[in-house]
Amino acid sequence: MDDLCPLAFLSAGTEATIAKVRAGKGMQTRLFGMGFCPEARVTVQCADRGSLIVSVGDARYALSRGIAMKILVECAKAVA
Amino acid sequence: MTREIRIALTGNPNVGKTTLFNALTGSRQHVGNWPGVTVEKKTGRVRRNSYEIEVVDLPGTYSLTAYSADEIIARDFLLDEKPDVVVQVVDATNLERNLYLTTQLSELQVPVVIALNMADMAEAQGDAIDLARLSAFLEIPIVRTVGTRGDGIGDLLDAAIREVKTSPHHEHTIGYGDDVEATIAMLADALSADTDLTGRYPFRWLAVKLLEGDESVLDKVRGGPALARVERILSSIDSDEYEAMMADKRYEAISAILPQVRKANVRSMSPSDMVDRVVTDRYLGIPIFLALMWGTFQLTFTAAAPFMTMIEAAVGWLVEFVAGSIEPAWLASFLGDGIIGGVGAVIVFLPNIFILFLILAFLEDSGYLARAAFIMDRPLYALGLPGKAFIPMLVGFGCNVPAIMATRSIEGEKDRLLTILVNPFMSCSARLPVYILLAGTFFPEQAGSVVFFLYVLGIAVAIASAKLFRSTILPGEVSPFVMEMPPYRIPTAITSLRHMWSRGSMYIRKAGSIILIGVLAVWALASFPLGVDYGSAGSFAGMIGHLLEPLVAPLGFDWKVAVALIFGFIAKEIVVGSLGVLYGTGEETLSSALLADPGLSAAAALALMVFVLLYTPCVAAIGVIRQETGSWKWAGFSVAYGLVVAWILAFVVGHLAGFFIGGA
Amino acid sequence: MNETKMLVFGAVLGALYIVTGLLQVLGPVIGPVPGTDLLYLTGDLFVGFVLLVIGAVFAVGARNLSRDVGEGAIFISVGILLSVLFGLVSLLALCATGLDVFLLGEGAEWSVADSIGPLLYLAVIGAVGFLAWGRETLRGLTSS
Repeated sequence: MDDLCPLAFLSAGTEATIAKVRAGKGMQTRLFGMGFCPEARVTVQCADRGSLIVSVGDARYALSRGIAMKILVECAKAVA
Repeated sequence: MTREIRIALTGNPNVGKTTLFNALTGSRQHVGNWPGVTVEKKTGRVRRNSYEIEVVDLPGTYSLTAYSADEIIARDFLLDEKPDVVVQVVDATNLERNLYLTTQLSELQVPVVIALNMADMAEAQGDAIDLARLSAFLEIPIVRTVGTRGDGIGDLLDAAIREVKTSPHHEHTIGYGDDVEATIAMLADALSADTDLTGRYPFRWLAVKLLEGDESVLDKVRGGPALARVERILSSIDSDEYEAMMADKRYEAISAILPQVRKANVRSMSPSDMVDRVVTDRYLGIPIFLALMWGTFQLTFTAAAPFMTMIEAAVGWLVEFVAGSIEPAWLASFLGDGIIGGVGAVIVFLPNIFILFLILAFLEDSGYLARAAFIMDRPLYALGLPGKAFIPMLVGFGCNVPAIMATRSIEGEKDRLLTILVNPFMSCSARLPVYILLAGTFFPEQAGSVVFFLYVLGIAVAIASAKLFRSTILPGEVSPFVMEMPPYRIPTAITSLRHMWSRGSMYIRKAGSIILIGVLAVWALASFPLGVDYGSAGSFAGMIGHLLEPLVAPLGFDWKVAVALIFGFIAKEIVVGSLGVLYGTGEETLSSALLADPGLSAAAALALMVFVLLYTPCVAAIGVIRQETGSWKWAGFSVAYGLVVAWILAFVVGHLAGFFIGGA
Repeated sequence: MNETKMLVFGAVLGALYIVTGLLQVLGPVIGPVPGTDLLYLTGDLFVGFVLLVIGAVFAVGARNLSRDVGEGAIFISVGILLSVLFGLVSLLALCATGLDVFLLGEGAEWSVADSIGPLLYLAVIGAVGFLAWGRETLRGLTSS
């Protein structure tokens, strides 16, 4: 089991793969629909103390720290 | 013979669905509300060949689960209303995510046609999409469209019509892997025992939703014979895990298809992302935002000035004309002072409001406002407000009515309510003439600073109220913020104008109805009982004023002010006009009349401005609050809270000012 | 996009905006600094703030370029966009005020000179930058 860390900890320019989304049912479903699914590749565009702008696929999203903490990625595989 | 077809328009948010809807239906549109919720429902009609087509614009959704009002509406419509064909608007520059919704539509077994929209942007990016191949893979007809130019509209309608006539409909299904498929088969089998569901909903879809843990589907099974067996199957699985697995499989299927149908132009960092680095920079982000806000308001006030001058002149001329040429005198008064003067006071603001809304529409359509919401999320979070709250607050500086409606984009119920409750403290443009009159009269040298102080005070009270409400009646954390950042675009003039119009027209409607009535009420109360001097102490207006005088005396107001305030409750625009009526002067000489009044000191004038800033929202705003919150409770609370805060602060400010300026 | 040219451009404009911004802000506080009458400084604090912001964007861009840290060019480009944008705002305000005065008929005591400020004339320099590099950036922006 790889070490998992929250998306919020990554810095700008980092790419990572989503491992798990730990959110309430509704939010989880919504995040899946937006592209934040396990195995999806995420790139952090801008980071500011936990709030992020990320790109997933061709889409770009802004996430508050709260949400970014709930999306877990595989730390070891994160590429800066 | 014309045939009737019904098309449901669906798709992700931000795919240009609205533009496409407008291109399809033109002016034959009707806007209403979905029953029971505050979500806008748009329907329209269009004719194609011998078909009369009704187009229903469903809310934009990322998927078809049932966790938000938008999604429930979209899904229920597709399931229960069974439209003849569904047109999914897909953003060609965002295929991967858009196709996720497509997989869900396929599972619903509704006839689908895809409008591959924003094709021009995809091509400009250098992407080449093989429509024929993609269509073959999905087993869904695809039409290339460019909503902003109207390309492909005809082909789209033809394809939709063709699809209605085609049967049987193909079912392209995603394979979820042996284990999951086995469970699906078990569930489908269990469900077949429920004859109520047979034929109404596709079993496979029901099974998939049950595995995902969809409560509303489970409800459909409840009360039926299949329940026991279904529950037994479900108890052995973890729905969170299954949902993740199935979502994963869907994306997997999509990623398998995509490289075969699209040659994407490899881009390192897009210019949009680069600009974002600057605009959301930790140190420069907020200053840039503030600078742009200053620019917005500066441009609004200066550009509106010439228009306001023209309107004032026109209204003034009209009033004089009426006064001079219409007999008898009471009719002249009714038309002149009453209707024209009153409505004129409102119309004078139209340039101000429309220009503000136009600039905001431009900022919104260009994509910047989404970034601004992100930038403001941090500071607003500290105040207990969601980042998206700043848009309604900005709109509130124009008029609170469209501002409160703009809170629909805020997700958390409490967050939304909080934003609605503090919105009235954003000083709307209707209050400005009061400030200009009083500040200009009593503080001629520092008028500008006084007005600025008032605006800042309004914001400060809004912030303090937000914190107060958060810690008492609306406890909890601000909902987490996820927002799509569309790529920057140069907005088309038409789109922005449409946007401006949808907000501005609310103001016009308010003016046309409530204010007109209010103005007539003012006139009536000031003119009766018969024979009394217009607006004197003997009129009904005066009598009401004297009744209320004790309540406002501590603030330094006399009965005339009290009456003006009551009329301001109806619409803030008529406060100045009412004062004019009560002091018996026209607007030009009102200034000197006020100065001459021994009952009104400079300190009291300041207190009055503070009171007008803070006391209850106008009737139109109260109506909107009730409509958006669904109850009179919060509307009433707004009124009461506003009154209390206004009274206390006016008292404090008035006395402090009196102490420093002298005179009571 | 020649990097050295951009660096110089950014550094110069950055300095100009920051200096005028400071003078603008200090004006109401300390009193007009002698010798700056030609700069058409209005006493408006907010204009000063905006000038400082634009200057800062240019400055950061120039600094990044000089240190070759990356992203310098984009700061300069955004700086140019802001410069031109606020120049347009000033121009529109000027025209609108002029129109208003004309409509009021009294002539008032207003001349074009009253509405000119650093936001307007510095934008002219910014516009030069826009013509040189801006078109590409805009095109890149709207297609992606």
